[in-house]
Order: sequence, then C-alpha cells, then structure tokens
Amino acid sequence: MASNGEGTAGLYKDTLLAGLWRENPVFRLLLGMCPTLAVTAAVKPALTMGCCVIFVLVCSNIVVSLMRNLLRPHLRILMFTLTIATFVTIADLFLKAFQPEMSAALGPYVPLIIVNCIIICRAEACASKNGIAVSVIDAIGMGTGFTLILCALAGVRELLSTGKLFEASVMPDWFVPWAAMGMPVGAFVTLGLMLGLANIVTGKKD
Amino acid sequence: MDKVKYFFQQSWLLIVASFFFGLLIAVANAGWQGRILQNEEDKFNNLVKDMLPDAETSKVALENVEVESGKGKKKVTSVRKALSADGTCVGWAFMCEGSGFADKIKLVLTVDADCEKLKGYGVLSSNETPGFGDKIKEAFYREQFVDAPTTELVLMKLGRPDIKDSKIVAISGATVSSEAVVAIVNTFLGQIKDQMQKEGLIGNGK
Amino acid sequence: METLNVLLMGFISVVLINNLVFTKFLGICPYLGVSGRIDMAFGMGLAVTFVVTLSGTLTWMIDNWILMQFGLEVTRYVCFILVIAGAVQLVEMYLRKFFPPLYDSFGIFLPLITTNCAILGLCLFLNLWEIDSLVEAVVRSFGAGIGFTMAICIMAGIRENLEMADVPVCLKGAPITLITAGLLTLAFMGFAGMIR
Repeated sequence: MASNGEGTAGLYKDTLLAGLWRENPVFRLLLGMCPTLAVTAAVKPALTMGCCVIFVLVCSNIVVSLMRNLLRPHLRILMFTLTIATFVTIADLFLKAFQPEMSAALGPYVPLIIVNCIIICRAEACASKNGIAVSVIDAIGMGTGFTLILCALAGVRELLSTGKLFEASVMPDWFVPWAAMGMPVGAFVTLGLMLGLANIVTGKKD
Repeated sequence: MDKVKYFFQQSWLLIVASFFFGLLIAVANAGWQGRILQNEEDKFNNLVKDMLPDAETSKVALENVEVESGKGKKKVTSVRKALSADGTCVGWAFMCEGSGFADKIKLVLTVDADCEKLKGYGVLSSNETPGFGDKIKEAFYREQFVDAPTTELVLMKLGRPDIKDSKIVAISGATVSSEAVVAIVNTFLGQIKDQMQKEGLIGNGK
Repeated sequence: METLNVLLMGFISVVLINNLVFTKFLGICPYLGVSGRIDMAFGMGLAVTFVVTLSGTLTWMIDNWILMQFGLEVTRYVCFILVIAGAVQLVEMYLRKFFPPLYDSFGIFLPLITTNCAILGLCLFLNLWEIDSLVEAVVRSFGAGIGFTMAICIMAGIRENLEMADVPVCLKGAPITLITAGLLTLAFMGFAGMIR
C-alpha cells in the first residue's frame, strides 16, 4: 500500500516537472510559438496570457479525461476542439469583463489559444489516456512551463525596449531603449537566441 | 432507421457535449455581459473626464451621425453632451476613427460647449509603432490640440508647439501617425460641427 | 473603378504590409517543424491558400449574416473553428476523390492545417478590420494565403542555403530559423505605411 502511494506521488512529481523543463512545450517540443512571439512585448500581457492558457489547459484536460472512455476515434479531434473552444470563449469573456486593458492588449491572440498546439497535444497525448489527477497535474506543469518562458521572453523584451519591468522603471537613466525589441524583429531574434541558449544548457548535439 | 441509429450511436457524445458547452457559454455571457458593456462605457467616460474635468455625466445628444470619411465610405458615430454636476453643458464628446500607420486609430474628441475650441483627444485604441507612432498617446502631441480652434488643422514639421493655433507640430519620426490624427480630426470635426449647428445644438447659446 | 481600387489596396495590404507571418506572428508553428525545402513549403503554402480562402469566406458569411443578425457573437470562436475544421475535412475528401495526385502531394499538410494559427487568425482579423463586403473578404483571404506562401517560400529558400553555412551547433535548427525570420520581419517593415 505504501509503495503504491509512493508510486503515485512519484508519477505526479514526475509529470509536473516534465512540463516545467524536460518537456517544456516551447523549448523542447517547439509548440505554441504564435502567442509566444505576439504577446511578449511586455511582462503583464505575457503573464495574463500564461494564466489564460493554464486555465484552458486544466479545464480541457479535466473534461477530456472525464470523457476519455466515451470518445469515438474519428470524432476525437472534433471533441477536443469543441471543448477547448468553449473554455477559451469563457476565458475571453472573463478577461473582457475584469481586465479590459489586458483584453485590448492581447486582442485576437486570446481566441488563438484554441489552435495553440500545446493544448490539443496535451489533450491527445495525456488527458485522453490518463485519469483526472494526472491530467490536471500535467496541465499545471505544462501551463506553468509555458508561462515561465513567456515571462522570461517578455522580461527581456520589455527591459530592453522600454527600460521598465512590469511598468516600473528599472534601468538607469543613461540607458537608451532598443525600440527594435518591441517589434516583431526583437521577438523572433530573442526567442531564437533563448532556444540556442537552452540547447547549450541541455548539451544538445545535432 | 438503421442509419439514423448508427449516426446517433456515433455522435451522441458530440450532441450532448455541444448542449452542455453551449449552456456554459450562455451562462458566462449572461453573467458578465453587463460588466463588459460597462467597461466600454467607462473607458469612454474616463477619457472624456480627463479632458473636461468638470464633466460629471454625459448623455447622448445626437445618434447615428453619418460622416463621410473619404473614398466614398461613411462612418457612423454619436455625439454626447457632457454635463457638470448642476446640469450645465461643459462640452461635447464624440468618437472618431481613421487609418493610422499600422491599423485603425480610434479617438475620443472633445470640444468646449460652443464648439469653438478643441479640448483635446484621447486614444481609445491604436496599434502604432511602439516608441514612435505610439507617442500620439503622450502629452507632447496631445497638448497641442487642447484649446486649438475648431477649424481645419494643418500639420507642420517644425514650429511652436506651445502656441495654440491651427498649426500642429508633428512628432519627429512618426509623420504618418501624426498626419493620421490630424486627418481624423479634420474629417470628423467639420462635418459634426455642421450637423450640430443644423440640429440647433450649438450656435444658439444652448 | 473605386471598388477595384479598394480591393487592390486591401490585397496588397494583406500580402505585404500586414503579412500574417511577419507582422502578426501567425502560421509559424507548423513551419518550424516541417523541413526547409522550397517545394514542400510551396505545397504547404498552396494548401493553406486554398483552405484560408474557403474558410475566410465561409466564416465571414456566417459571422455577418447569421451571428451578428441574431446577437450570437459570443459563439463566434466555436463556430469559426468548427467551420474551419469542416472546411479542411471537405477539402480533403474532395481532393482525395477528384484529384488524387494533388492529394498525395499535399500529404500530411492538410490535416495539419486545421490547427494552423493563420487560418483562425485571418478569420478573426476579417472581423477586427470590419470588412463589410463579401468580395473584399474573399480578396483579403486569398491575399493572406498568398502572403503566407510567399513568406514561407522565402524562408525555405534561405534555410536551404543555410544548410551549407557554418551555423554554431547550439543554433542549428529552430533557433537560426527564428533569427532569419526576425531579419525578414525587419525587411518587411519597410512596406509599412505604403497605403494610407
């Protein structure tokens, strides 16, 4: 009984950590690029987007896990998509109601969470095969990993493009902001360099 | 009959799930729609209040005002009357829009009670280049419109931004965005002033 | 003549100035995974153009003629994604039946397209830009597809040449592709402000 309990706890911890680093959706699995580049101009929108993704991931993983034994194979993807679309609509309404400036800043990228590869892939790879507890933990792990990357990228971009972090001045006065960081160029190049850095850290040899 | 049965067998989950999700969305929408509309009203009112500090409330004076925005297109807006705490008219506000450098720019324009002077503009939404076109939101450009006459405005590259006349000094490095704002003001102000005079809202000491 | 002008401007705006890949960050995900050969990129681009024109038109029609008439805007996202999934399915079935060689050459791309951010993104942008005529919606959707095809063909061409360049080990693959894309974005910024 004790070893069984330990086994489950180990699985949970493993799943959680996997999402955070080993199978980080952006760095290792190269999923969810579109929002990563679009919303990371500043930390606040990035954080908001990250929280939305975590919310949608958790809810959709729970629902898919509940349905997993009833799914017909050829309607599977359609069911996933429907589920995700519903929760994204709810998240979007929530943002419009309680965080209108963030909703305006994120604009059309909130509904684009629907086609964010991360969520469908997790539903397919994990939630449709495992129980609720594991699915939830996987969702939290992946979502948090994604949010961390978004915030890291946004932090670099915001710092260099406006000298502020989370709308508070951080850089000294002599710093001339690099406007390019706020534009698409900065997004692509920074993400590319960060991916390269991650490759160095994990010693990837290609 | 068999075909129908087969159809239902395969897709009952889809149908049930659709109903359930539809219900979820409807509930969320009904619950938050009020707040969402209120947020939009608030945004408009806050901008107006910034520019007309004595305004306590505003009510719609003219609805469905059509403005020719060039190239045969018509835009529809409405004119609101800003009232102070004791009910006297302190100015008029209306929404106007036009195309900027990147996307559409939406402004709130306020004029004084006689529609003789501009009281400034507020940016409702814009997507201009950060660090350059974005400066239309900043004081340097906005201040030039406060107390400017409600005649045709002219954009200049160089000049005295502190003199309140119909010459507006452009933001250096953001010519197109500056031109866009001036164009929007010119397009809407003249036509709305005419329509307000026709309706007898101004020019009769009302 | 006036309408033709508007349509042409709209088309150019979506292809060059508001290019979906370089200014709106859409359509990157599948591209990073798929190999960098020009012919594959072109094939994918064509498939996307086909689907995006179809979905853009359909979703615009549903949005303007049904959803907004009955105040059902809140179901917009669900409807759009279902229409897109349906359109992709239809295109796949139609191609498999009537143009088998074309279907074979598209290969794996067709199912992948449903989750391509560019398609849903364009449908949402059509709404955001407040396009009010069906013809303009069709032209812009088609333009978006062409813009996407152009963007990934350019990137594929550069990537092919990069194979022979001396890229540091840690930057090989996705990182160097992203940096290339970033530089291309900078180049395309030159088109901004072309149309008033």
